[in-house]
Amino acid sequence: MEIDYEPIAGRSTGYYLLLTALLVLVAAGVTATVLMIAYGIHLSGMTNRVPWGLQIVMAIFYIGLSAGSLVVSGLYGIFGKLEYKPFARIAAFLAMLFLIAGLLSIVTDQGRIDRVFVQPFAHFNATSMFSINPALYMGHIMICIFYMWALFKEKGRLTKVTSVTVVLWALCVHTGTGAIFAFTPRELYNTALLPPSFVAAALSSGAALMILVLVSLFRITRRHLDVALVIWLGRLLAVFIIVAMYVILIENAHRFYLIESREATSYYLFKGYHAVLFWGGLIVVGSVVPAVLLFRRRTGTSVPWIVFSSVLVVVGVLCERYLIVLPGLEHPPNLFPGMEIIASALDEGIVTYSISLLEILQALGVLSLIGFMFVLGLKYLPLLPTEARAHGQSQRLKDLIARATANAEAEPTSPAV
Amino acid sequence: MDRREFLKTGGLFLVGTPCVYGLMAMAAPRPHEAGATDARRWGMVIDLNRCPADCSACLEACRRENNVAVHGDRRWDIHWIRKVTIRKKHEADAPTRTLPLLCNHCDHPPCAQVCPVQATYKRADGIVIVDHHRCIGCRYCLIACPYNARYFNYRENDEWPNKAYPKRSHGVAESCNFCAHRLDQGRPPACVEACRDSGAGALKVGDLDDPDSEISRLIADNSVKRIREDLGTEPKVYYIGL
Repeated sequence: MEIDYEPIAGRSTGYYLLLTALLVLVAAGVTATVLMIAYGIHLSGMTNRVPWGLQIVMAIFYIGLSAGSLVVSGLYGIFGKLEYKPFARIAAFLAMLFLIAGLLSIVTDQGRIDRVFVQPFAHFNATSMFSINPALYMGHIMICIFYMWALFKEKGRLTKVTSVTVVLWALCVHTGTGAIFAFTPRELYNTALLPPSFVAAALSSGAALMILVLVSLFRITRRHLDVALVIWLGRLLAVFIIVAMYVILIENAHRFYLIESREATSYYLFKGYHAVLFWGGLIVVGSVVPAVLLFRRRTGTSVPWIVFSSVLVVVGVLCERYLIVLPGLEHPPNLFPGMEIIASALDEGIVTYSISLLEILQALGVLSLIGFMFVLGLKYLPLLPTEARAHGQSQRLKDLIARATANAEAEPTSPAV
Repeated sequence: MDRREFLKTGGLFLVGTPCVYGLMAMAAPRPHEAGATDARRWGMVIDLNRCPADCSACLEACRRENNVAVHGDRRWDIHWIRKVTIRKKHEADAPTRTLPLLCNHCDHPPCAQVCPVQATYKRADGIVIVDHHRCIGCRYCLIACPYNARYFNYRENDEWPNKAYPKRSHGVAESCNFCAHRLDQGRPPACVEACRDSGAGALKVGDLDDPDSEISRLIADNSVKRIREDLGTEPKVYYIGL
């Protein structure tokens, strides 16, 4: 099957305005980071009790997002699903960009950024997940670049081999990222289920983002995208949501059941704003509602509903990432079992982390930088196909599409793709 | 210079600089390593029966000796040694106990295990110490320490009372190091000295491997406890009367 790739022209006012807006945000992020380098990271909301904040949350969120893109890319590369070939290049490109975003978030979070590029290589510590992971991330970016080259040059067999490698490598990347938290002696961190739940949520958020990017890109550039492909991706997303929800629920049921960790778990599951993020953000908005929408025949075959579900999933996984990092820090370690600390110069009880404006600017800066690279990539790299059509459809899918078309006609307001 | 040559030189510079710095970093000697010998294993005994609740001599001595930062903000103040008051949970009229907490210099230090650049490490004599010229400020050690004994320099320390000892720039982590620089000179840590001078004599430091040392005898003759022994970190700070 021949696919024509045609970059966008990128000469409209809107294109240049977008680039400028992104650059302004990048400049804001750089300013925030420079201020922190100069005056110290007390300008963030972090403290001695909560030493990790928004940047780490965003880092693991971005790294998670890259996984789903790769899986979509792998549908063609590994399983030979030709329908998904038009997306393979964009997916690989996005996977690389999000890995860069994750790495950048971690780098800008360090106290001594000047040493980050030398010391970890000169003094690699094999027992530190923070040593192992950058190596995994860097390798991942390299493999992604090679994979994109193989896709651009249409190397059939090599593409397949690289595709398998990159997906397996991504599995290591995500397990490693989950292990940053799981391999520490902290009550809400040290669960062996954290790496698998990280991978599961990564797949669902990544697939959701892929749907959002593809639908909006094809719409904005007025290219044809078969409804069937979006429906299929929606089905895939629905399965990922169920798997993620399963692992996350088991993880929490387990630590709630064990008496030793019940106090900490009930603090975060049932008290304060964590409970809202967990039950409201992650479970209801981020998992149950999109899963129901995607499994229902009428909504699951309607592109606007699939897009809506994808937005919900991305929001839900962002909540999940926050819940991985923060509650485990805000809840104090149990220094004296059976006792309570009634006076100390340090805040020994439950503390609250509040995000500072500069941290938000940093996070936006990183996101805008990869957004900038993505928008440039669309113009200068052969990423976007002229059209994406589903070939060799099964009868069942044909029925689905017929239904979707009927839906679209019944609801004239819903946008056709 | 044509384009090809420019790219070549630029690339060489780009790759070469970190390599040279990396080699220099690898060759750089450890500070405070000179006095370390595996003939000793430093430990501490704190006799709470002799530690008055309202005394803070050790805290003040430590701050003066090691230029520990106090910003007047609980979020960022650094405490190499701090005093906490504890009592039984849910019993408002239970008797309270006040005790000093400091780095336990674990035999299996989780902070050193997770440090991505080996800036935190255990010396041959068991002291857990931070190489402040190597620390990248990732704060993973603060996450891993189960005792809240690690601190981070969130902002610059304006005070520098003891010019004989360096202060730290903002952006690096730190914790108690048993005053390794003093132990290496044969002097006791500042807190131990201040405690002795105040007349309390609750803090003792010594060699855990020597069965005849004062602290080995105190450990043998008394019922001692270490904090969260169940974690398996093998802390080297022992409490009498906890």
